[in-house]
Amino acid sequence: MVIKLSSRFFKQYTVKIEKRLEYSRKFAILTTITSILIAFGVAGIALSILGVDVVVAYTQVLTVFTKLPLLIEAIKYAIPIGLAALGLNIAFRMNFWNIGAEGQIYMGMFASTGIVLLHVYYGLIPEYLVLITMIVASFIAGGAWCTLPAILKAKMKVNEILTTLMMNYVAIYFIDFLIYGPWRDPKGYGFPLSVPFPSYAKLTILFGDSVYLGSILLLTMAMVVFLILKYSKLGFELRVIGESLETARYAGINFVKAITLGGFISGGIAGLGGLAIVSGIIGRLRPRASAGYGYTAIIVTLLSALNPWLIIPTSIFFGGLFVAGNMLQATLNIPGATIDMLQALIFLFLLFGELIKRYKLRIVVRGVSVEH
Amino acid sequence: MEELLHLKGIVKKFPGVVANDNVDFTLRKGEIHALLGENGAGKTTLMNIVYGLYKPDAGEIYVEGKRVEIRSPRDAIKLGIGMVHQNFKLIPSHTVMENIILGLKDVGFVINRKKVGEEIRKLSEQYGWRIDPYVYVWQLSAGEKQQVELLKILYRKAKILILDEPTSVLTPQECRNLFHALRKMAEEGIGIIFITHKLEEALSISDRITVMRKGKIVATKNAWETSIEELTNYMIGRPVLFKLDKNKTDSSEDFILIRNLKAYGDTGALALKNVNLTIRKNEILGIIGVTGNGQQELAEVLAGLRKAIDGQVLIDGMNILNYSPLKLIELGVAYIPPEPIKYGIAPNLTIRDNLFLKAYRYKPYSSRIFINLREVEKKAEEIIRRFNVVCPNTSIKARSLSGGNIQRLILARELSELINGWKPRFIIAAYPTKGLDISAAEFVNRTLIDYSKTGSSILYITEDIEEAMMVCDRIAVMYDGRIMGVFKPGEVSIEKIGLMMAGAETLTTS
Ligand SMILES: Nc1ncnc2c1ncn2[C@@H]1O[C@H](COP(=O)(O)OP(=O)(O)OP(=O)(O)O)[C@@H](O)[C@H]1O
Ligand SMILES: [Mg+2]
Repeated sequence: MVIKLSSRFFKQYTVKIEKRLEYSRKFAILTTITSILIAFGVAGIALSILGVDVVVAYTQVLTVFTKLPLLIEAIKYAIPIGLAALGLNIAFRMNFWNIGAEGQIYMGMFASTGIVLLHVYYGLIPEYLVLITMIVASFIAGGAWCTLPAILKAKMKVNEILTTLMMNYVAIYFIDFLIYGPWRDPKGYGFPLSVPFPSYAKLTILFGDSVYLGSILLLTMAMVVFLILKYSKLGFELRVIGESLETARYAGINFVKAITLGGFISGGIAGLGGLAIVSGIIGRLRPRASAGYGYTAIIVTLLSALNPWLIIPTSIFFGGLFVAGNMLQATLNIPGATIDMLQALIFLFLLFGELIKRYKLRIVVRGVSVEH
Repeated sequence: MEELLHLKGIVKKFPGVVANDNVDFTLRKGEIHALLGENGAGKTTLMNIVYGLYKPDAGEIYVEGKRVEIRSPRDAIKLGIGMVHQNFKLIPSHTVMENIILGLKDVGFVINRKKVGEEIRKLSEQYGWRIDPYVYVWQLSAGEKQQVELLKILYRKAKILILDEPTSVLTPQECRNLFHALRKMAEEGIGIIFITHKLEEALSISDRITVMRKGKIVATKNAWETSIEELTNYMIGRPVLFKLDKNKTDSSEDFILIRNLKAYGDTGALALKNVNLTIRKNEILGIIGVTGNGQQELAEVLAGLRKAIDGQVLIDGMNILNYSPLKLIELGVAYIPPEPIKYGIAPNLTIRDNLFLKAYRYKPYSSRIFINLREVEKKAEEIIRRFNVVCPNTSIKARSLSGGNIQRLILARELSELINGWKPRFIIAAYPTKGLDISAAEFVNRTLIDYSKTGSSILYITEDIEEAMMVCDRIAVMYDGRIMGVFKPGEVSIEKIGLMMAGAETLTTS
């Protein structure tokens, strides 16, 4: 590709983009870090234009990671993000571009709340089984939500990016419908909220604070994903499928089965993220309960280079950004959208960094070439 | 004589290997310089450096006496260097002219389509080719595609031409055409570097021959001063047997019957029009013909990777037509595919994963859910050693192997009886020695012959008539989706085989 800058001053310059054949690990890590720093830089400029004292704002962001109570708060947000990212990790491994973690999270919330309502309204399910049933149900609901696009892709080559994305909206509106309608708490003064979850339906049931049980859930799932990808037959099949469907066929892999199962597990783990929101953070269901964690998870997964263990620190970082956003909103009166902007910038610059890893830019000045 | 290219002290290291170790190399004006060496000797790496694909760790490059930095293929092209890779890089859905223009636009030529078309036609005639600039690339044979690659380079008046194993997919006739054209280019002053594993070829076409071994240059010789024996000695340090011991009892028991087989090709045209063949037990049946006459489609149908629309394939009396690949694997069908990169290997997975692409699902390599990594690692090491795949370890990506070693990896997977110790009953071997050096090719052919002695039936697809004569018990000629005839080596004259391959004659005996 050749970009010609044809203004009068640039006449003798051409910018050329060429594929890079080899790059070192060090270079890759450096590019990633630089991308994040640049994102913060650009966001800082935007903030100062808005009249915010950037130094004060960024110092506050830093405190999220240095003060223990705030860090714990960050981890609470990291749990749904991390779970969704772990799910995506499986999907991305098989080259299944699941954009639907958000919808799968909503389906997880739907199933968790559904179980609570069955228990509260109809007395079904004994108390001590409620939480465990919620976990299973949210996994199945999230999984089912991802299985449909997976089957469509495996059997009919329907593009999963479109289907998973569309199903996000379906899930979100479905929850809206429930919570403004049949699932609204009759004693809730008309607010669109479900009944508050009883204590045994919350992640606070053990150790008092939801962060502990949530962390255990997150770590367990990281282990599960790690084991699946590294040591299981399914993981092997997903790797081959991700590499090339032709090769998978040649190897005799039943890829419809593998993609369907992979999709189910991927959506299921994201569904647990929904559970972590309603029974870990909010304690009841309300509309739009996920602040786009399913989308954040996409960034987290890619940033972690599809390594399930790296997903944990990365999601804590992004969880911290959410906490910082809430804080800045309260203390400095910064619009909440700032954090969305920062995330979007990080994502944008990461993509740009990815380009730099794969391609090199060269500016050619009248035949002399300068490398960048 | 004028030096076009001079490489001085080139070093290139990859993790675990020194691919080029202080290499000096010169190419003169108007010379054809053959580059020989075992699989993994570093030939492709060296040429990729000249073409700007890799950056050397040390060393200097001089083009026409001037020190240059070649940072990308674009730089190489500007310096008048052109390279034809082993896998053609043309776009099949574009016409010949569009492909050639695409290469030009990249370097900033101004295009006049009509003029270009005319010039391409002229240029192609100049070398005795008949390339129509307006046909689509997918309509061309392998030999013609190669001519287009060459035209692309010649059109921009290259002075240095690099060909990486250009003859490995060509029939003898196509080879002769290529050599004729190369000679002509050399006469016009172009310097040509020619990588090959066929020693006779190197001796007959080139002026000088350089042999590489384990990243180093062992010798550079004038072609008229050296011999096959000397070259082999340089290459592997010992002589190689060129005679294969076939010595086995004739078999008359029909084992595989192919009846009225019909199937579509990728372009939607009928690629197999009506194939009838019998392969006996203990037999290697060769299929020769110009590439693109249905050989690949036949292999794919037999391996379960392409649906046949009509016909029968009987293995031991059982009709296996359109069985799934997995069922066929379990019936003992081994398949060495013609295009390894397309589906023979997963380039970004490890060597180990690639070895177990089919066997991972069986005991003792896995239980119901988990893979038994220790068992897999142990076995992988063992097979790698047995099939002599040159690599630092089995956890590197398959893509970092040299061309010949990728082929060895595939052979290792298909022939090492990984699955329950099953011997393959039916081996479909499409160009199994493609890209292999002489000792590896000898090893593969010997292995296949050994299998045929112990009861396997083998379909051996090749372009190399001599090789087919040496290895196969019977040979079938394929043309335009049909079998033109089947004969035993020596029964039919080379001229007649040539006519059959061109579709001008059929044979009804055997
Ligand atoms: N990109 C790469 N990464 C790591 N190792 C590589 C890479 N490319 C080549 N190698 C290694 O360098 C060595 C030389 O490889 P090269 O492809 O140059 O061999 P070759 O002489 O062309 O062999 P062949 O005849 O099999 O094509 C091999 O050991 C190969 O595994
Ligand atoms: Mg090579």
